[in-house]
Amino acid sequence: MTAETLLVQVLKALVSGLTMGMVFGLVALGLTIIFGVMDIVNFAHGEFLMIGMYCGLLTYSNLGVDPLVGLPISAVVGFVLGIGCYYGLVQFLLRGPMIAQLFGTFGLMLFLRNLALLIMGADPRGVHHGILVGKSFVLGAGIVMELTKLVAGIFSLLAFAAVWWLMNRTRVGLALTATALDGQAARYMGIPTEKMNAFAWGLGGTTVAVAGALLVNFWPVDPNVGLLFTMIAFTTVALGGFGSIPGAAFAGLIVGVLINLPPIWDALSAFSQWSVVSGGELHQFKYSFVYLAFFLIMVFRPRGLFGWKY
Amino acid sequence: MEVLKRAFDFSDFPRTDLCVAGTVALFLLVFPLLPHSSFAMATMIQFLMFSVYGMGWNTIGGYGGQVDLGKAQYVGIGAYTTAVMMIRWQVPFWVSLPIGMALAVGWSFILGYPLFRLRGHYFAIATIAVSLVLKDLFEAWSFVGAARGLKIPLRADMPSFLYLQFREDYYYYYVILGFFFVGLFYINWFRQSRIGYQLRCIKDNEEVAKSLGIDAHWAKIKAYAVATAFVAAVGSFHACYNFNIEPEDTMSLDLSVLIALMAMLGGAGSLWGPIIGAAVLVPMKNYLGAWFGAKAGLVGIDLIIYSAIIMGIAAFEPRGIWGLITRLRESRRS
Repeated sequence: MTAETLLVQVLKALVSGLTMGMVFGLVALGLTIIFGVMDIVNFAHGEFLMIGMYCGLLTYSNLGVDPLVGLPISAVVGFVLGIGCYYGLVQFLLRGPMIAQLFGTFGLMLFLRNLALLIMGADPRGVHHGILVGKSFVLGAGIVMELTKLVAGIFSLLAFAAVWWLMNRTRVGLALTATALDGQAARYMGIPTEKMNAFAWGLGGTTVAVAGALLVNFWPVDPNVGLLFTMIAFTTVALGGFGSIPGAAFAGLIVGVLINLPPIWDALSAFSQWSVVSGGELHQFKYSFVYLAFFLIMVFRPRGLFGWKY
Repeated sequence: MEVLKRAFDFSDFPRTDLCVAGTVALFLLVFPLLPHSSFAMATMIQFLMFSVYGMGWNTIGGYGGQVDLGKAQYVGIGAYTTAVMMIRWQVPFWVSLPIGMALAVGWSFILGYPLFRLRGHYFAIATIAVSLVLKDLFEAWSFVGAARGLKIPLRADMPSFLYLQFREDYYYYYVILGFFFVGLFYINWFRQSRIGYQLRCIKDNEEVAKSLGIDAHWAKIKAYAVATAFVAAVGSFHACYNFNIEPEDTMSLDLSVLIALMAMLGGAGSLWGPIIGAAVLVPMKNYLGAWFGAKAGLVGIDLIIYSAIIMGIAAFEPRGIWGLITRLRESRRS
């Protein structure tokens, strides 16, 4: 392997990591909003993503239009799903101890996953053609950029901008922030905190479902896809700081690069003939790195990079 | 002696409880003599295994209030130690069992030290993350058969107590029943011991516990090690009982959650809770799976029903079935 191909490999991994990272940020955004507002960990988050992915897929396969048309549909479905989960389950869980909240959302995760299994079957399904699918362009020597990933990254940035605007420039966003900072004080100020909690779930559901509809363009969907993304989202949220929105964006990028570190390492070891850890095989551990990173962050810096809530 | 007396001292339970417990114990002892299908036998063995898992989890999760969702990694360590030692070096089960437990407990000390700096949700998610890392490692490690797992070959001297290989299931049944009773008496001692009281104090209020001079961090690590020993022992048994282990069925997150769920459904932090939980969930899961799983087009409906029950319990009675019973009793008394 020459130095030039090594450079290309590294750049390729970085580019792919950064674009994927934007989507990971969007996936984690919903989790961090929900956590910030009401201190509850949503294990079903990956399943919300899966439902968003299926929404995109179904608009594509049943209506015969591009999955991008499914974006608003996904957003609406995610919003309704979030609100429904809040009023149907979470408001009861909030009365119980922490362990009840963990198991309640865990039950929700199993429920949604198996419902999807019952309705959609276990086979992975993907989108095979569309406006974006299969198109790519070359960024300099040998670095291929898939259009689907690029557009997903751009849309994620737009979604982040929209949420930032909502949280900081509108009355409802300020009310949400107030609820997150101090629920009781917010209630004294006349903010309907119950409704704000429900809205946080709705917003969380919307963002993650949109991420799902973007993701389905290049990631095949099956009912078990959720757990991996739940763990990635947890890692992202932990790194960015629980409850921090800019934190989720930056941490998403870092996690995206982190997932692409093992391929970089493999390229390096192939280049230098220096195989410390099973040269060329580290890429099968790429998700272990995410889990390990989560553990290390939690132990050494539980506030994360931008966290205010711990 | 004092310890043994404590272990057999159930005097703080009302008499009805003890009558029910005695009847159940008698039923468990004579169950293989009653007419039963082999499916019922397998379900009973699973029930006993999960009760012991649940009892183990109960020490840290129930009495200590630390929600641990990574117990499956220790099941895996126990199971793999037994399987590897039996396949490679012909080590009998009863020798590899304590070695597996020791390895698992050692690993739990290494992990427990940093893990217990976290609390609540953070602790729960971190345990998941660690156990997934270990599972990924085992899936790639060729010494333990990577993702295909290990298969314990049948021995020539087949009905062998030393190697725990039998033709009939009821031998396995009595072995795991022995584990079950040892575990039960141990937990009965544990809940009345110094560490048991310390843990309950930590669960109620960690700051107060610390101000009373309890070393909360160390108490949690000790309870975590106890839980680990229980789980690893059953893991070793699992390897011999199934002959075949893979990372996917001994170390998956589903198993970790199932263990915690049994204890929580029955009532975490009570002696009978994990047993009740396993008695409800294991047969339900097996029979629902057998009824619906086989039918085409109804894949997953058993787990849908099962998860609906979990959500209902979590939302309306977080103290589990035991909490329900206690509440009924209190309302009758008043």
